[in-house]
Amino acid sequence: MGLRPRPEAAGCFSRPEKIRGRVRQFDEQVEHGGILVNRTIMLPASVDEAVEALAVTPGAVPVAGATDLMEAVNAGRLRPAALVGLGRITELRGWRYEDGGTAVLGAGLTHARMDRPDFAALIPALADAARTAGPPQVRNVGTLGGNIATAASAGDTLPVLTVLEATATLAGAGGTREVPISHLLTGLDPLRPGELLTWVRVPLLHAPQVFLKATNRSGPARAAASVALVLDPARRAVRCAVGAVAPVPLRPLEAEAWVAGCIDWDARGAEGVVPIDPAAAAAFGEYVAAACIPDGALVAGPEGAGAVAVRLRRTVSVLARRALGRALK
Amino acid sequence: MTTTDPIDSGSVGPDSTAAGAAGADPLDTGATVAAALDPLGADPLGGGVPTGAPLGVDPLGADPLGLGAMEYGGNGRPCASYTLRVNGFERPVTDAWIGESLLYVLRERLGLAGAKDGCEQGECGACSVLVDGQLVAGCLVPAALASDSEIATVEGLSAGGAASDVQQALADSGAVQCGYCTPGLAMAVHDLLQRNHRPSEIEARQALCGNLCRCTGYRGVLAAVQAVADARGAEEEVAEEEAAAPSEASVAAEPEGAATELPAESVPVEVPGADGGLAQVTSTQPMPVQPDPAQSAIAQSGIAQPGFQPGIAQPVADLPAQTGELPVYADAEAWVEADPWVEADPWVEADPWVEAEVQYPVEPTTVGSGTGIDYGTTTTHQTGVYEPYPGYTATPAHGTPYDPGYEAQPSYQAPYDASYDTAYGQSHYEAAPAHGTAMDGPLYENAPAHGTPYVPAPAHGTPFAEGAPVYEGYDGSTPAHGIREDDHA
Repeated sequence: MGLRPRPEAAGCFSRPEKIRGRVRQFDEQVEHGGILVNRTIMLPASVDEAVEALAVTPGAVPVAGATDLMEAVNAGRLRPAALVGLGRITELRGWRYEDGGTAVLGAGLTHARMDRPDFAALIPALADAARTAGPPQVRNVGTLGGNIATAASAGDTLPVLTVLEATATLAGAGGTREVPISHLLTGLDPLRPGELLTWVRVPLLHAPQVFLKATNRSGPARAAASVALVLDPARRAVRCAVGAVAPVPLRPLEAEAWVAGCIDWDARGAEGVVPIDPAAAAAFGEYVAAACIPDGALVAGPEGAGAVAVRLRRTVSVLARRALGRALK
Repeated sequence: MTTTDPIDSGSVGPDSTAAGAAGADPLDTGATVAAALDPLGADPLGGGVPTGAPLGVDPLGADPLGLGAMEYGGNGRPCASYTLRVNGFERPVTDAWIGESLLYVLRERLGLAGAKDGCEQGECGACSVLVDGQLVAGCLVPAALASDSEIATVEGLSAGGAASDVQQALADSGAVQCGYCTPGLAMAVHDLLQRNHRPSEIEARQALCGNLCRCTGYRGVLAAVQAVADARGAEEEVAEEEAAAPSEASVAAEPEGAATELPAESVPVEVPGADGGLAQVTSTQPMPVQPDPAQSAIAQSGIAQPGFQPGIAQPVADLPAQTGELPVYADAEAWVEADPWVEADPWVEADPWVEAEVQYPVEPTTVGSGTGIDYGTTTTHQTGVYEPYPGYTATPAHGTPYDPGYEAQPSYQAPYDASYDTAYGQSHYEAAPAHGTAMDGPLYENAPAHGTPYVPAPAHGTPFAEGAPVYEGYDGSTPAHGIREDDHA
C-alpha cells in the first residue's frame, strides 16, 4: 500500500509548479467494468475494485496512509502517474479472527487503532510498536499494510511481524496468495505487478511478547535499533528479531536456540523464581548484538564508523537483554 | 523499461519550458506497475517515452482498454480536478497535479495559509489539520484523495474573525512567540480537547508530541490546555444548571441527559456555516465544543464563573516551577517502554545513555564568592527544573552580607582545607563584598590596602607549603574517567 522510495531518484524536481497551461476538463470519468475510473485518481470501495483499478491503470500507485509516499513525493523522489486511494475500503480497516488462534489484520489498520487497548490485549508487542511509530498526526493515518509495503528499514511493526511469523495475503488479478512476511521483506517473494497487500495473518500467542526500541532523541523518532522478542512455551523456544540495524529485520537464530536451552521453562511463572541466570541473559544480549552487527563494522573507518557500530552493538545488546528479562518475568 | 528516464529528460526540470518536452511522463504499461509495486524492484518511476513525444499522443500506439491517455495538465503532469470540503465550504480545485499535498493545495490554491509548511516530512506538526475529524499532517495527505473528506483548518476554529477559546488561551498563556507552530498547536489542542475533556498533563504532552516548538518550551501550551479545559468545564456546569432550572415540562419534553450525555464533544463537530464555518452554532444547540462567543468571553475573563482559577491563564513565566513535573518523555526509552512492569523489573538498570540523573556529591561553594549559580543543585533531565541535592542548604545569594553562623549549619562543610590559605597569608574565608560596597569592618582588616603591591601566586609546580596534601599518584582504586563499571562492550 505504498511505494518504497528510491533514493537514487532523488533531486529530480523541487516543488510542484503552478499550472500555466490551458484549462481542460478533467472531471471526465470513464465507465470500466462497473466502476468509475477517473484515470489519475481512483477511490475504490472494495478490494476487488482496487485490484481491478490497479490492473487497468498503468503506473498507478496504491495509497493508504501516504505518510511515506508523500514524504518521497515532497522530497522529489517519486512522481506517481496515478493514485489508487485505499481509504474507502472499510473492510481492510479492522481485523477478524480465524480458527486456530489466528488474527487476520486488515492492511488498512492504522497505527492509532493498533494502539487502542482492545488491540493491545490481542497483540501487545504490535501495539507497543504502533504506539512508538510516530506522532499522532502520523499514527492516525499510517497503516500496517503501508508499513510492510514500504519496507523501510526503521519500520517499527516489521520486527514484530517478523518475530510473530506473520503471513501476508496478496490480492492480484489472478487471485490471492499467501506469503510469509519475511519472504516479502527480504525480496525472496516480493509483491508482483498489480498485487495489493490486503490482510496480515498473525498467530495469536498466549505468551509474553515484548517490543523495545531505542531512539536518538526523546519523543517520537525513528528507531536507532529495535528488538521484538516472543516466548513460545509450547515449543520451549524464544524468537527474537532486531529491526532498524539492517535493511530488513534480522533474526539471530543461533542466539535464540542457545538461550532457549538456558531457560528453566518449568519454573517460569512461579512466584519469586528467576527463570534464567542474569549472566546468561546478558550473554544473550551480546550474542544477539554480535550476530546483528558484524565484527567488520566495528573497525574504525575514516568517518568514525567504528564508534557508531560499537555504540549500536551495545544498544542492541541492552535491548535484547531487557526484552528477554521482561518476557521471562 | 525504456532507456530514457522521464525525469532526467526533464518534463518538469527547471530548464524545461518548452511544451514539446512536456510529453515525457511515466506513461507506460505494466512495466511501470511492476516497478511501482515491487518493493525491491527497479526504478519505481518507471520507464518513460522518448523525450519530445507530443502531448496527448498515446506512445503505445494502441489502447487496449480504451481508456485513452491519462489526464495531463498543461505542463505534462498527471492532474485531476476535484472538490475539497474545507471548513464546510466546497472549494473546487482545478487541474492540480495529483502529487500535491493537502498543505500545498490549501495554501497555494485555496489561499488558506493558516497551516504552515515546516518540514514536509510530518515531523514538525506545523501543518496539522483535521481530515474527517482526525488530526493529520497536511503535508502528508495527497489532496486529491481528501476530496471526499471533511477538512477543518485553523481558519475554521474561530468564528467571525474572533479567536476561539483555544487560540485565546494560547495567546494568554504566553505560548506564542514566533507563531509558526501556533496554528498546528491550536489544531492539536482543539483535537485533544474534543477527544478528552479533562486531559492530564502527561496526556496533553503525549497528544502534543508531534508539534515542535522551538521558542516557548511547551509549558505555555500545557497551561493553555488546562485553561481551556477548566473554562469549558465551568461553562458546562453553568449550562447544566440552566438546563435544570426551567420548568419540569420542558425537562420532560427534552430529556435531561440529552444535553449532558450527548457526546457532542467527543465527535468532531462540523457545522457548515455561511460565513465562518463554525459560526452557525446557536445557543439552542447544546454544543460545548463551540460555545457561545459571549459566554466564552465571560469564561475567559474569569468573571463570575464558578471554579475558574485565575492563575491558570497567567503567562507561563509567572507560574511557579513544579518540582518533578513530567517532561514530554523523560527519555526516549521510558517512552518506548511504557509498561506497568517497569517499577518492579529487576532487569531495568540505569539507562547508560542518560547520565543527568546521577547526583554528584557537590560541595557548597564559599560564601558569597560564587558566581550566583547554584552549584548544589542538579538538573532533572530535560525538564529544566532544579531539584536541590538532598540535605543541602542553599548558599546565600551573591552579595548577601556574610553570616558568621553559616558555618555552624549542619550541612555546611568547609569547601577545602583551610590550611591552603596559609600559603597566601590568610587563615579563613571572607565574603567578597558586593560590588560597590565600601571595604570596611573587621572582616576586612587583613585585606591589603589599595595600592599594595600584588604578591603573585607561586608558579605552577612550586611545592606547596607544609600541610598541603601531596598527590601520591594514581592507585588504581577508582575507575578512569569515561569508563563505566558496567560497561561490557
